[in-house]
Amino acid sequence: MVEAFAVASGKGGTGKTTSTLALGMALAVEYDVTVVDADTGMANLLFHTGLDDATVTLHDLLIEGTATDVTEATYERFGLSVVPCGTSLAGFEAADPARLRDVVAELATDTDVLLLDSPAALGSKSAVLPIVLADRVVIVVEPTIPALSDGLKVQEYARSYGTETAGVLLNRIREATEPVATQAGRHFGGPVLASVPDSDVVRAARRAGVPLLAHAPDSEPADRYREAAARLEVRDGDGEQVAARFKSAVVPDTP
Amino acid sequence: MTAPTDEASLSIPRGELLRSRVVATVGETLAEVLDRELTGYATLVPQETLLSAGDARGVLTFEAGVPVLAYNTATDRGGSVALASIAVPGPYRVELYAVPRSELEAAHAVTALRVPPDAPATELADDPALAARTRDVAPADRGPDRNGGDDGNAVAAFLADDDRIEAIREQAREEARARAAEWGLNEALSKPDGAAERGDTADLDDAADTAEPDGF
Repeated sequence: MVEAFAVASGKGGTGKTTSTLALGMALAVEYDVTVVDADTGMANLLFHTGLDDATVTLHDLLIEGTATDVTEATYERFGLSVVPCGTSLAGFEAADPARLRDVVAELATDTDVLLLDSPAALGSKSAVLPIVLADRVVIVVEPTIPALSDGLKVQEYARSYGTETAGVLLNRIREATEPVATQAGRHFGGPVLASVPDSDVVRAARRAGVPLLAHAPDSEPADRYREAAARLEVRDGDGEQVAARFKSAVVPDTP
Repeated sequence: MTAPTDEASLSIPRGELLRSRVVATVGETLAEVLDRELTGYATLVPQETLLSAGDARGVLTFEAGVPVLAYNTATDRGGSVALASIAVPGPYRVELYAVPRSELEAAHAVTALRVPPDAPATELADDPALAARTRDVAPADRGPDRNGGDDGNAVAAFLADDDRIEAIREQAREEARARAAEWGLNEALSKPDGAAERGDTADLDDAADTAEPDGF
């Protein structure tokens, strides 16, 4: 089985990468999970997973001529298969976003859950590609008007490409805002997966280069992420079929 | 433009006009006000064409650089509801006025119009650092429990405004389809409705090859 989720936000700084890894680790208890840094322009999954020195990354797979094998850019960390992306501007400029489709297709043949850490923007083809390719989208928002507006925008973009909302994660909650969670649930296509409190523990995990669920597994934010993962009902999909679908996805060659 | 002094519900003197300009983000204005420890007010007119923001005209007052009241002179609503109604992506036309502190005392006594000191930086400017800086310099009696007579939650007010939410969604849908055409992703769109209107259909020829149920 395989289901591909894009973890998206529409704006930066909402804790998308932290959330991707936390959901991934929580889901990994039950599933074989692969996490891909699809934010090719502002990659930071590698910093969250202690892979700063990774020699082969998604960038190498996305650049024609330098591609090796997907397995060479896949690292087993924290019970997850992690495909980090490089951060060099040169790599970004040379990367062909359309090749992401082929990489995702290949990864889909050998995993249960694919999490695509998506760009915090909607302004380019490479930025929307993850939500075009994914089965469903998890929207990460802070409880602020700009973040919720952008989250709603991501949802509509995703729907335009037939990608429904799996749920919304309210992150960095600074005070109890139950009315906000209830109201947000009305406007997003999936359930509110969890309200994750703003916490120094999350920042400490990021500084340590370790995912939250490994750094502070007993913390409240970690509990909330496990709760979110439990609400995310992963659907059955045939890996080969999903891979075939990705391969046939209509993506132009270059911008 | 109508001066906010014309509004019965918010009576403040016109004051001295310091600046009038269009800004990309209200953050510039809020940061300037905070740095100058300005006492006075700003009028904010969103330039964005989003349906429900079309008639929004905001007033934010400040005491020693810290936001105190929010008011929408188009709807005659104050406090967090007003703040929510003017929280749209920039740009804004901003006019900044200085007013002697003593002349704002009466207006600032109306707690129902107050907003948390950091709320404009968070909800209008989307600037967490500026919000933190504002919290740091806000007087102790402007803490989270002493900010206003309403529920103090602009986010809840925003989410309760179904017309506003629908306008955002509709605009996003249109934008998504226009950009799909621009990026050559028309064929990946889930349904052709609306896409054909823009005349960018040159690359729809291969659409029959795609797997319909999932939009590919």
